[in-house]
Amino acid sequence: MTDTADKNFDANVDQKSKEAYFTAGQGQLIWTRFKKQRAAMIGALVLGMLIFSGLIAPFMTPYDPTIAGRDKAYLNGQPQVPKFWDENGFSARPFIYTYSRERSIKTNFRWITTIDRDARRYLTFLPKGDKYTFFGIKGETHLFGVDKGYVHLFGTDSTGKDIFSRTFYAINTSLAVGTIGVFIAFVMALMIGGVSGYYGGWVDSVLQMITDAVRTVPAIPLFMALAAFIPDTWSAEERFFFISMILGFIGWPTLARRVRTHLLTERNQEYVLAAQLCGASAGHVIRKHLLPSFTSYIIVDLIISFPYMVLSETALSFIGLGLKDPVNSLGVMLQNVTSADVLLNYQWYFIPVIFFITLVMAFVFVGDGLRDAADPYGDTKK
Amino acid sequence: MLQFLRFTLIRAALAIFTLVLVSFIVFSLMELVPGDCAERYLAFKSSQGSVITLADIDIERVRLGLDRPYLERWIKWIFNAFQGEFGDSCILRLNIAELLGQKVWLSIGISLASLVLAYSIAIPVGIIAATSRNPFLNNSLRLVSYMGLALPNFLLALMIMLFSTVMFGNSLTGLFSKEFRDAAWSYDKVIDFLQHVWLPVFILGWSATAFAIQTVRALMSDEIGKLYVTAASARGVSGRRLLMRYPARHALTPIINSLGFDLNRIFNELPIVALILTLTEAGSLLIEALARSNDQQLAGAIIFFLTAAIVGINFLTDIILALTDPRVRRSILG
Repeated sequence: MTDTADKNFDANVDQKSKEAYFTAGQGQLIWTRFKKQRAAMIGALVLGMLIFSGLIAPFMTPYDPTIAGRDKAYLNGQPQVPKFWDENGFSARPFIYTYSRERSIKTNFRWITTIDRDARRYLTFLPKGDKYTFFGIKGETHLFGVDKGYVHLFGTDSTGKDIFSRTFYAINTSLAVGTIGVFIAFVMALMIGGVSGYYGGWVDSVLQMITDAVRTVPAIPLFMALAAFIPDTWSAEERFFFISMILGFIGWPTLARRVRTHLLTERNQEYVLAAQLCGASAGHVIRKHLLPSFTSYIIVDLIISFPYMVLSETALSFIGLGLKDPVNSLGVMLQNVTSADVLLNYQWYFIPVIFFITLVMAFVFVGDGLRDAADPYGDTKK
Repeated sequence: MLQFLRFTLIRAALAIFTLVLVSFIVFSLMELVPGDCAERYLAFKSSQGSVITLADIDIERVRLGLDRPYLERWIKWIFNAFQGEFGDSCILRLNIAELLGQKVWLSIGISLASLVLAYSIAIPVGIIAATSRNPFLNNSLRLVSYMGLALPNFLLALMIMLFSTVMFGNSLTGLFSKEFRDAAWSYDKVIDFLQHVWLPVFILGWSATAFAIQTVRALMSDEIGKLYVTAASARGVSGRRLLMRYPARHALTPIINSLGFDLNRIFNELPIVALILTLTEAGSLLIEALARSNDQQLAGAIIFFLTAAIVGINFLTDIILALTDPRVRRSILG
C-alpha cells in the first residue's frame, strides 16, 4: 500500500519536474543552469552589491563628491580607520581621531598633520549632511558620518574631496555611461542586424560588407579623433552624453552580427511562415515573433558587452578625452593615480582602482556564466 | 591554380573595396568635425599676432581646395591616399607622409610583435587549459586570463614604469636612448631599440594574450569531444601527437581568420600605452595631433594607415587559409 503510494508520488514528482522542464521559458532554463555555477553566482552577488551601492551613492556616501563637499583641513589625507578601542579605553561606538593641520615657523613652513588621540570623533548613523537629489527626491540624510568634523574612510585627494564618496559616485557614472552606450549599440544592432538577418540575400551581403568595414576601423583612435573636437565650452552633462553615444557607436557591429545570426536561423521556421501567410508585415514579424524567440540570448550578449563599455569609457577618460574632473567616473579616478607622487606618497588613491577591477571582473564572471548557461548544449559538452 | 588565382584576385578587390569604404567613413567624420583646416591654420596665425579677416579665410580655403564639392575632395583624397600622399598637416604645415614616415612602420611592427607574443603564449596554454582535468590549474588559468581583461593595459604600464623607477631608477620610457633618438639606423641603435621595445610589446601583448587564451580554450574544448578525435585515439594515437594532429589543427583555423580583429584590438590600446610610455610612434602622435591641435588631416591619415594594416592582415590570412584549406578556395564569396 505504502509502496504504491510512494511510487505514485515519485512518478508525480518526476512528471512535475519534467513538465516544469518542458514548459519553462528560456529565461528560466538559463537561470537554472546559471545557479549551478559558483564563480558566476559569486560574481553576480558582488556585481549586484556594487550596482546597488552605485545607485544609492548619494545616500551611502557621507559627502558631496564635488568641490562643494571638500574638507579644507585635510588635503591629501590618508584613510581614517574607525576603531573601537585604544589606550584611552573601549567604546561601543566606533570612533576616529581628530586631525589638525598646521603650517608655521615651527614646522618649517610645511603642512604637517597632527593626530590628536584624545579628541575622539564618534561615528553617527543617518546624520544630516550635504544636500542631494536622488531620483527627484531631495534628501540630506546620509548612511553615516561623524559628530564633529569629517570622516574619510578612503582618505582625501589633493583638493580635500572625500575619495570614498567619489568612488561610489564614479561607479554610478560609469554604469550610467555604460548603460546608455549599450542601449544605443543595442538599438543600432537590432535594426541593422534585424534587417540584414530577416531579408537575407543581397541586402544581407551589402549590410555585412558595411558592418565589416566599420569593424575594421580601430575604434578608440577614431573616436579619440572625434572626442578631441568636443568644444571646451561643453558642460559636463553634454560631454557625458557625447561619450556615451560614442561608446554606443563602437559597440554595435559585434551585437549586430549576433542578432543577424539568430535571425538567419530562425526566419525559416514554420511559425514565421504562418505569420507571413496571415499577412503580417516584416516589422511585425521581427518584433512580435522573431525577437521574443531569443530575447534571453540578447540580454546575455548585452551583459557580456557591458564591461567593454566601462573599459572604453575609462580608456577615453584616462587620456583626457572623455569625462573630466568635476564629473566622477572610474576613468577620471584612474587618471588621478598616474603621477609618481601618488605611488610614493598617497597610495590610497589606488582604492578606486580596486573597485574598478572588481567591477569589471564581476561583469566578466557573470557574463561568462550567462554565456555558458544560455548555451543549450552546454551540459552535454562537458 | 587558376582557382587560387581567382580567389586571390577577388579577395584583393574586396580588400580594396573595404579600404575605400573605410576611407569614406573616416573622411566624412573628419568633415563633420566643426571648423576646417583653413580656419584652424588662420586661427593659429592669428594667435601669433597677424590680423586675420573673413576674406583671408576664404582665400586660404580656395588655396587648400576646400571650396570644391565634397565628393570631389573625397575622390582626390582617396587617390592620393593609395599613393601614400596625404597632403600637409593642418597646424604643423609639414608633409604628413614625411612626418609619419617610419613611425607608422614602428607602430605596426610593435603591434605585430605583441600579436606574435600573445599567440605563442596563448596556443600552448589554451590547449593545456582545454585538455587538463586539473581543476586548480584550470581555475588559476581562468583567473589570470580574466585579470588580463580587467586590469587595463594603461594601469599595467603605469605600475611597471613606476616600479622600475623606484627600484632601478630607470623609467623604461621611450623607444630609444637619448643619443640614438635622431641618429641613423646602425647596429648600436638596433640594440638600443630592442632594449626599449620589449616593454610596450609585453604590455600590449598582456591583454591580447588573455583574449587569445580564452579563444583557444573555447575552440579547443569544442573540438576535443568530437568523434574523429575519439576515432583517432581508438586507432592508438595518444598524448601530444593526438592533440596536435587532430583537434588542434581544426581548432586553430578560425584563429588565423580572426588575426585582423586581434590587431584591431591592439591598435585600440596602442595610443594609450604609447602615451604613458612616451613612445614616439604613430599612436602617441595621434594623441598629440588630436589633443593639442585638432588636426584633422593628420588624424585621418593615421587612422587610414592603421585600417590599411588591418585590411592587409585580413587579406594575408585569407590567402594563407586558402593555401592550406581547399574548401576556403572554393567558397569565394561565402
